[in-house]
Amino acid sequence: MFLKLKRVALVALVAGFAFPASAEDASWDAVVAAAKKEGKVVVYNMALGAPYFAAVVKSFEKEYGIAVESLDLRASELVERLRTEQSAGRYLGDVEMITTTMIEEQLKNGDFIQKLPPIPNAANLRPPFKATEYSIPAYVQPMGILINTRLVKGDDVPKSWNDLNSPKWTGKLLSDDMRPLGSGNTLFAVLQNNMGAEFNEKLAEQRPVFSRDMRNDARRVARGEYPIYITQVFAFASDLKGLPVKVIVPQEGAPYAEMDLAVLKNAPHANAARVFMQHFLNVDSQALYANAWMLPVVKGAAERADPEAQPYANARLMGMAKLSERPDMMALAKKLYP
Amino acid sequence: MALSADDRVADLGTMRARLPHARRFLNRAPAGRVVGLTLLALVLAFLTVYPLSMLLYGSLHSTPPGVAGVFTLDGYRDIVSQQNLLTLLNTVGIALAKTIPSLFLAVLLAWILARTDTPFRGTLEVLVTLPFFIPPILTAMAWGMLGNPQVGLLNQLYQGITGSTASPINVYSYGGVVWHMMQYSVPFLFLLIVDAFRAMDPSLEEAARMCGATRLRTFCTVTLQLMLPALTGAAILSFIRGVENFESPLFFGSPAGIHVITTDIYDSINQRSPPQYQYATAISFVIMALMFLIILMQWRILRGRSFQTVSGKGYSPGVMKLGKWRWATFAFCALFFAVTVVLPVSQLLIGSFFKFFGFYEWDMLTLEHYQAVAGSSEFWRAFSNTMLLGFVGATLTMLLGGIVAYVSVRTKWRGRRLIDAMAWLPWMMPGIVLGVGFLWGFALLPHAIPIYGTIWALLLAYISLGTPLSVRVMSSAYGQLSYDLEECSRVHGASWLQTMWRIMIALVWPSFAVGWVLIFFGIMRELSASVLLYSVGSEVLSVVLLKLWANGSAEQVSVIGLIMMAMVIVFRWVQLRVIKRWIGAL
Repeated sequence: MFLKLKRVALVALVAGFAFPASAEDASWDAVVAAAKKEGKVVVYNMALGAPYFAAVVKSFEKEYGIAVESLDLRASELVERLRTEQSAGRYLGDVEMITTTMIEEQLKNGDFIQKLPPIPNAANLRPPFKATEYSIPAYVQPMGILINTRLVKGDDVPKSWNDLNSPKWTGKLLSDDMRPLGSGNTLFAVLQNNMGAEFNEKLAEQRPVFSRDMRNDARRVARGEYPIYITQVFAFASDLKGLPVKVIVPQEGAPYAEMDLAVLKNAPHANAARVFMQHFLNVDSQALYANAWMLPVVKGAAERADPEAQPYANARLMGMAKLSERPDMMALAKKLYP
Repeated sequence: MALSADDRVADLGTMRARLPHARRFLNRAPAGRVVGLTLLALVLAFLTVYPLSMLLYGSLHSTPPGVAGVFTLDGYRDIVSQQNLLTLLNTVGIALAKTIPSLFLAVLLAWILARTDTPFRGTLEVLVTLPFFIPPILTAMAWGMLGNPQVGLLNQLYQGITGSTASPINVYSYGGVVWHMMQYSVPFLFLLIVDAFRAMDPSLEEAARMCGATRLRTFCTVTLQLMLPALTGAAILSFIRGVENFESPLFFGSPAGIHVITTDIYDSINQRSPPQYQYATAISFVIMALMFLIILMQWRILRGRSFQTVSGKGYSPGVMKLGKWRWATFAFCALFFAVTVVLPVSQLLIGSFFKFFGFYEWDMLTLEHYQAVAGSSEFWRAFSNTMLLGFVGATLTMLLGGIVAYVSVRTKWRGRRLIDAMAWLPWMMPGIVLGVGFLWGFALLPHAIPIYGTIWALLLAYISLGTPLSVRVMSSAYGQLSYDLEECSRVHGASWLQTMWRIMIALVWPSFAVGWVLIFFGIMRELSASVLLYSVGSEVLSVVLLKLWANGSAEQVSVIGLIMMAMVIVFRWVQLRVIKRWIGAL
């Protein structure tokens, strides 16, 4: 009886969705055809030539025959370049890939992006990720603790963020600067919200040493300059195999930054932009990110990650920094770290 | 130079009644000169005044160009704080702390290599200039390993020898910041002044010696005095670069809590939400005003003095015989080379052959970084773009600088001071802000002017950024030439063009070549404007280096740095051979 009911339900489900799905398919085929006619898509991004991004771009070009022009810039330069171009009426870019908070800021300061057209793969986003009216999640960069495995062993290995406040680590923590905008302040804000104000006060008493050279800082820990680095973006350690370092995901979870995709206002290749976003949310594309120790945003990608990447692709998330809280968090960090 | 110094100051005081003067000037000056000067002024205005006017607007407006806002002085008001005063003092202190010893070392090296019989001085001259051409990221990386207090190789060596547990070297300190800056400053100053030493007629020194002056007194009272325009010009350039230096305080100062103006500007643009362009541009204009005061000081120092050392009389640029001391001077140069080049470059070279920079284990030996660079189409595209921009940019910049310097130093034409000042402007604005000025300026041009988003935008920005240096190099060179050379040529029937080609250009050619190399490698390293102006297809090497660095490929960055160094050696070798031929022909 139960099986029969299940079969009926399934038939009803298929019947209910078959026709709209076909209509959607047809309409999507038209988008793809229009995109191919446009011939290229210009992507403004912060990936700075990262190999996983290049791999997604390559697979897109291969699948659709549409050329990708990737303009790689650092965050602030990307935002200013877009703002200047849009203000000057030079509509050269189609898609941008930047953090959620930067998109929020763009919406607040000017209408440089346009409402998001339907992207079929958005239906496959995994919780807690969801598309907004203007943007869609692309991937997630969580942060944990990096340890030097020769200097931090056994019970000394931190399991909780609270373990960092043990007296044995006083003066021995390296961190991205928590006062300005960036990973350091994101970590500071998320830990402030989740661990309570006392946590950051105690951490400040540990006198962490600030640096802003995240890639080099991981290597400084590997060389033994410091035993612990506390703003380690998982992905930035994925290519350090062979060095005596390990990324720890604390039991409370990992603060993170979400990278989103948005279509720029008056994008000259708007259809190609949509197809690119659709491709970015493919399980295959997302699996490339998962294998680089980033958190994929669609269902079915984390499961396909290499065994070594699994803990990071499925890491428990703690939260991300909020634009509305940013001035207060930056001021507080400056107060605690004068 | 004496005339130009006089006139510079005189011109500053003759702003009144400009209109009648201008009318008289127009009536008297040949039409060609008026057209030429106007054209020159227009070119400089577009390259320097236009992007700066965008920044000035940004400093006086609540929002950047193109966004609705109001005019306010908030940016300037925000500058006035005790914290900023301390930051400014810190910046000036660090710039002075690196300029003074750098100048001392550069003068000593220039004198040794240009005016003494020190052995192998041709080779040493190439070697001591090498640090200038290594990208700062690479030396920061190398010194971060050599001189960090926990596991630095030099500290470990000290501990191994003495048995002490102390770490006497800490690059994350004021000393580290100054030391990192000096590695660029000494060869930079050396390159700017060495040809002034070389081109000097030794008869003046010989006369002092014949009158009983000791070698030291001769050096201090004759040689140094005659080098004053070149020395003060170079020192001021070096000081300004010190104020505007960004990499050294970022890498070695920030972790130690050392703040300078450029890191403050960087924070206000890159690390605040939303970016504080008004504050960044306002503080840059304040710095610019301070820099201008320093230049006025130089003009005052040089006023009324003649520094002509190359005259119509034939001379042989002889060298001083040092006897057994020649090996001491050789050892001094070799030591400088060893500390500033061998130590950090060995790190880069070794690091480039291992899987991870700084981790030297046999099983990590690899050639994959060389293969990756050689097989990267992006690298080769950026390489060819950079070569094109470098060759064309350096040549055009030196030509423009040569013309500006000629007008400024060798003529009494009205308006020449304005042209000289316009050429100076980009040097006085921190690079990270000036890049934004170019972005705003080129993007807001009418769409019919196809510059934005093309390789032309980069070329124009590079010319603008390099012009102050080219003008300084050429001004020093022209300042040394006696006027009788030109007059003699004209009296003997040579046309102005013939005189220029056969006399002036022939004599300033060594300086032109030095300036060309400095600007070529400046273009190769320039990042602030490049990263904001490049477009797909017009990537340059500095952008590729940034991408590799951001992606943690320090080893590939080292490989590219080593390729750049190999190019420097070849360029300098060719350049010195050419200079030698010209000097020999004098």
